[in-house]
Amino acid sequence: MKRRVPLSSRPFPADEQLPAPPRPAGRVLDARLHLLDRQVHDVDETPVVVVDDLEVRGTDGDEHPTGAQEAVVTALLSGPVLGTRVFGGRPPATRWHRIAWSDVTEVGVVVRLGVRGDALDVTWTERWVRDHVVGRIPGGRHDPG
Amino acid sequence: MILGDLLDAHVRDDQGRRLGYVVDVRLVLDRPASGLLAVPRVHGLLVSPRTSSSFLGYERRDVRAPALLARWLRRRHRGTFLVLWPDVERLGDDEVVLRTGYRRWSPVLDA
Amino acid sequence: MKRLFAVALGILTAIGGFLDIGDLVTNAVVGSRFGLSLAWVVVVGVVGICLFAQMSGRVAAVSGRATFEIIRERLGPRAAGANLAASFAVNLLTLTAEVGGIALALQLASSVEPRLWIPVAAFAVWLVIWRTKFSVMENVTGLVGLTLVVFAVAVFLLGPDWGELAQQALRPAAPASEGPAVYWYYAIALFGAAMTPYEVFFFSSGAREERWTRRDLAQSRANVLVGFPLGGILSVAIAACAAIVFLPRGVEVSSLSQIVLPVALAGGKLALALVIVGIVAATFGAALETALSSGYTLAQYLGWPWGKFRRPARAARFHLTMIVALLVAVAVLMTSVDPIAVTEFSVVFSAVALPLTYLPILVVANDPEYMGDAVNGRVTNALALVYLVVILAASLAAIPLMIATGAGS
Repeated sequence: MKRRVPLSSRPFPADEQLPAPPRPAGRVLDARLHLLDRQVHDVDETPVVVVDDLEVRGTDGDEHPTGAQEAVVTALLSGPVLGTRVFGGRPPATRWHRIAWSDVTEVGVVVRLGVRGDALDVTWTERWVRDHVVGRIPGGRHDPG
Repeated sequence: MILGDLLDAHVRDDQGRRLGYVVDVRLVLDRPASGLLAVPRVHGLLVSPRTSSSFLGYERRDVRAPALLARWLRRRHRGTFLVLWPDVERLGDDEVVLRTGYRRWSPVLDA
Repeated sequence: MKRLFAVALGILTAIGGFLDIGDLVTNAVVGSRFGLSLAWVVVVGVVGICLFAQMSGRVAAVSGRATFEIIRERLGPRAAGANLAASFAVNLLTLTAEVGGIALALQLASSVEPRLWIPVAAFAVWLVIWRTKFSVMENVTGLVGLTLVVFAVAVFLLGPDWGELAQQALRPAAPASEGPAVYWYYAIALFGAAMTPYEVFFFSSGAREERWTRRDLAQSRANVLVGFPLGGILSVAIAACAAIVFLPRGVEVSSLSQIVLPVALAGGKLALALVIVGIVAATFGAALETALSSGYTLAQYLGWPWGKFRRPARAARFHLTMIVALLVAVAVLMTSVDPIAVTEFSVVFSAVALPLTYLPILVVANDPEYMGDAVNGRVTNALALVYLVVILAASLAAIPLMIATGAGS
C-alpha cells in the first residue's frame, strides 16, 4: 500500500513557504487525529463503540457534496465500515450503524454522548451476548467479590 | 459520503497532475448545533505526497517530543499542504480534483 | 502507616507477580546452556519493561486511556488491527502455556496426570476472573508467588564457584559448545520473556480497574522501579541455579521437574514444596493476566465495555472473549502438546509483536492533549528511543534466527 508522489514531479517547489490559512471562528479538529478511532462513551461513562467512520453531507442534504457547497458531519459511523477501512471496499449504506451528531456532547480524549448506550442500535451485539450467554451464567449479574 | 471515501484518495489539479493523497480532513465546529455541540463543517483537506503513514499527531505545533521522532515524521511529510473545501472541484472514485487557481496553505495545526 | 503498608504490598506483589512460565522456562533453559552469559539480557529487558510499564500506567492514570485504546487511536484500524491479530495470538499462546504450567506444577505436587489438571486449572482461572475482586486477585497471587525467592536462596545453598559465575556474567560470550546464532536467538527469547506485550496491556488496564489518578503515580512508580528489578533478580537466580547444576554436566533443561531440581538439591523437601507453590501462584497469576489481556485488547480495539469492576453482564462481550480464550487454551493443551515447547515459541513471537505496541505508548505519553504537564521528560524519551531501536532490531531478527537455528536446537 506504499504510495507516494515524488516531490519533484509536482508543479510547485517542495520547500515553499506556505501562508497560514485564515483562522476560522470555531474549534478546529483534524478528523483522523481527533475523531476517527476514538472511544465513544455514553452519558454514564460506559464505552459504546469506537468511531469507525464519519458521515458527511452537504448542508442541503446532498449525499455527494463538492466544494461548491458546504459539507458537514452528520453522524458517527460504526460496525461494518470498520471492515472496509481495514480491508478496503465500501459497505451498503443500509448496514451502517449511525450515531447522530446531535447525540454528541463533547469531543476530547474520548467522544461523549448525551444518551445511554443501551438505547442505541450499535450495541445490539452486547445486549445479545448479555441476554443469551453471560447473563445466564450464575453470578453474571452480580458485582464481583 | 463517508470520510473513509476521502482519506487516502488521490489528489490532482485541474490538469490531472498528481499532487498527493488526502491524509486528513480538517473540520471546524462552527455550524449551528442540532444538539449540544456545534456541528463540524469540512474546512479543508490535508494533502501529503505520501499515504503510507500518518503524522501520528506531529502536525500540531506544540507537539515536538521526542524530538528525533517528531523531526523524522515531519520530514517524511515534507511538502504537505492544506487546501480549503471550496477549492475542491469534484470527487471521483478514490480521487479528488481541485479547481483552477486553488491555493495551498500551511498544514500546521495550532493548539 | 497505612500508606507505607500500601507501598510495601505493591512492591511485594510486583516482585511475586513478575515471573511467569516464560521467565521460568527461558531462564532455566538459558542457564543450563549458556550459564550466566545472557544475564545482561535480563537487565536490558527489566529496564525496558520498567520504562514502558511505567509509561503506560502513567498514560492510563492521567488520560484514562488503556494501551490498546491508544494503539487503535494513534495507528488507525489497519496497523492496530495487525497488532491486535499478532498480540492476541501471542497472548493466546502465552495463556495456553500458563495454564499448562499450572497443570505441570500440580502434577509435580500430586503425581496426577496433567491432562486431568488442565480443565480444573482453566475453570479455576475463569472462576477467579468471574467472581473475585481485582485487587484481591492481584495481591494473593503476587504474595504467594514470593515463595519463588527460594530460587535465590538455593543459589547460596548450592555453594557455587562465585568467581566462575561472575566470569560468565561479566564477560558475556557464547560457550564453545554453542554457535553465535543460537546465543542471539536465546537473547531475543529472554528479552521477549521479560518484555511480553501482555504486561503493558494488563498493567495499563489494571490502572483503570483500580481507578488510578495522578495521586497514585508515585506509588505505581515505586512498585515498578523497585518490584520489577527484584523480580529480575529472581530471573537471574533461576538461570544461576540451572547454570550451577546442569551446565557442568551438559544437561539441557526441557521439563518443569528439571527447573525445580536445583532447588530440591539445595534445600530438600521443604524448599521443593515452596517452589512448587510459587510456580503454581506465578503461573496462575499470569494465566489470569493473559486471560484478562485477551479481553482487554479486543474490547479496547472495538470499543466494548470492559473491566472486572463492572458486573459480567455489563461487559458481556469482554467476558465471552475470555471464556472462549480459555476454552481454546484447554483444547490446545488436550492434544498433549508440551507446554514448555509452547512457552518457548510464545516468548519469541512476543518479541516480534513488540514494536507496534511500544511506539504508540511513547507517542501518546508525549501528547499534551492527553497528558497535560505529565508528558515524558527528556531522559525518559532518550531512553525510550534507544529501546525502540532495540525492540525493532529484536523484532526483525526473531523469525530469521528462529529459522536459522531450528528454534534454538
